[in-house]
Amino acid sequence: MTEPILSVRDLVVKFSLRGQILTAIRGASLDLYPGETLAIVGESGSGKSVFTKTWIGMLDANGWVDSGSILFEGKDLAKFTREREWLTIRGKKIAMVFQDPMTALNPLRTVGMQIQEALELHQDMRGEQAKARTIEILSEVGIDIPEVRYHQYPHEFSGGMRQRVVIAIAVACNPRILICDEPTTALDVTIQAQILELIRDLQRKMGATLVYITHDLGVVANVADRVAVMYAGEIIEYGTVDEIFFDPRHPYTWALLSSLPQLGIKGQPLYSIAGTPPNLFTDIQGDAFAPRNPNALKIDSVRRPPFFQVSPTHYAKTWLLDPRAPKVEPPETIRALRSKYERYAQ
Amino acid sequence: MLKYSLKRLLQSLITVFIVITLVFLLMRLLPEEGYFGDGYDKLTPEQRENILRKFGLLDPWYVQLKNFYSSLLKGDLGKSIIYRPDVPVIDIIKLKIPYSMTFGLAAIAVSLLFGLSMGIHTARNKGRFWDKIWSGYVVFINAVPAAVYLLFIQLYITGLKYKGRSIFPMLFNRHNPRSWILPLISMSLGGIAGYALWMRRYMVDQLNQDYIRLARAKGMSEKQIMVKHVMRNAFVPMAQYLPASILLTISGSIYIESLYSIPGMGGLLVDVIQRQDNVMVQALVLIYSSLGIWGLFLGDLLMAIFDPRIRLEKKEGAR
Repeated sequence: MTEPILSVRDLVVKFSLRGQILTAIRGASLDLYPGETLAIVGESGSGKSVFTKTWIGMLDANGWVDSGSILFEGKDLAKFTREREWLTIRGKKIAMVFQDPMTALNPLRTVGMQIQEALELHQDMRGEQAKARTIEILSEVGIDIPEVRYHQYPHEFSGGMRQRVVIAIAVACNPRILICDEPTTALDVTIQAQILELIRDLQRKMGATLVYITHDLGVVANVADRVAVMYAGEIIEYGTVDEIFFDPRHPYTWALLSSLPQLGIKGQPLYSIAGTPPNLFTDIQGDAFAPRNPNALKIDSVRRPPFFQVSPTHYAKTWLLDPRAPKVEPPETIRALRSKYERYAQ
Repeated sequence: MLKYSLKRLLQSLITVFIVITLVFLLMRLLPEEGYFGDGYDKLTPEQRENILRKFGLLDPWYVQLKNFYSSLLKGDLGKSIIYRPDVPVIDIIKLKIPYSMTFGLAAIAVSLLFGLSMGIHTARNKGRFWDKIWSGYVVFINAVPAAVYLLFIQLYITGLKYKGRSIFPMLFNRHNPRSWILPLISMSLGGIAGYALWMRRYMVDQLNQDYIRLARAKGMSEKQIMVKHVMRNAFVPMAQYLPASILLTISGSIYIESLYSIPGMGGLLVDVIQRQDNVMVQALVLIYSSLGIWGLFLGDLLMAIFDPRIRLEKKEGAR
């Protein structure tokens, strides 16, 4: 495989909350390859957003990178402290699209100006030239009569249109990596599909690397090349979409996929994962998922598993992959998926 | 925008009309003594009736109201009866308004300058040392009765001496600019605290908005975000009350004007009420209340200029 564009190693992020220390990211590692679309999935609070926010230095004021490295273009972003350093990355090289388009735009400035700001910052355009390019971008993201829309305010746009404007801002930055933090969660289903399509088109045009943060596995299957599964601040499994969907190895990934309504069997209650995610204020021993895992091994509660290779592109952090481990079969729904995949692969 | 302004204008006109009418009718309920001046006891019933007739007070109320409006349209607010007998109200306040307004406007300018910068500074350094110091100041100004610290300023600061002479004179003197300073500072203290408090509050509100996060993700520096996104948005809710406070500087400050013997409007209303000069009371209440209404009207217009959501309210249904 080619050289990664961004490489995160053993990242630890902590927050100070009411005098207590919370460890939100517990040694996450990830490589991102140029031009690919990676989806990061996991339940709420697993640290998906926090993880990517460290790449542009936008942790909340009470959070900090404790250890680990984020290598990007020969620099370690984890070592950045000053605003001046971040301004060379933020927007310019790595941009982000946020979840809620309804509140993401300044209500008192015209839509055109908010896009143009990014052009002026990153593409060194001024005045008429910047305006012309803004109008061009507006039409690229599928907004009709952009000359008129340029002068309008956010409240004159619908939710889907506003998300297009937010995406237009990201396009105006022309970043190498675009992080989409649940870009469609706040939109209704028909608009969702349009926005996903739009992002995919623009990615092709810009040649950017795309990172989706989502807990919608349907979106993942649609857009991603590779998937990374996060649990309790760790990447616990990653691989290509096919590998994760049809040959998952980590018990948490099994559980996550089993709880997909689409895979449920009619008449049977929908699968849900027992228990709750671990308390991140405490020091977690061993495999964080062990307390919720019916097949947990003894070692799971003692020592944290390393990454085991399943294939050159597929890794999982579970002791089940250790040669000495007993053979544990994935749940039935997952086996069904696998046999479906084998048929499909032939 | 035009439709919005006209609508607000009409509403304000109606309100002013109602207020004027109400004030006039309420004034009819006051005791008659206020129309006779000092010699009330010595007058015979016939003389009293003559005086009342002269003022037109024996006409039915609707005739009185009509007469009142027609003289009002000519700009005639009537003549003082007791305060300065037979002098037109306009001439009395014409001399006093410049003092009150000059001090008032200067105080607003000072308050805005220091209050807003203080608010911006504390919002940007929320929770740090200077934020705490300035918050302490705001709490102090709001918690301690103004009379206490205003008196202290006059007593102790005028006591400061340089080469045996006071730096700041105790009383106001039109021809001595140094005597303008203490009243101006006294008048601004409250305003500074007020503007700082609200500016800080609105800025902190803004800083937590999603669009500020987006602006940051866009790669804007904190400074650019402050100037282009935060400050203007934070000022909008404050702009609404600015015209009213500017117009109402005309009423002066009772306490500070009397402390420093400034011949302004402060206390005039209280004075004429105590002395039962009905015509003066009526004229002053009219002026203050209509200025209040026009201030709010201008505030609404200012808001609409700043905030497109207001001015485009009815134009398009899209959210």
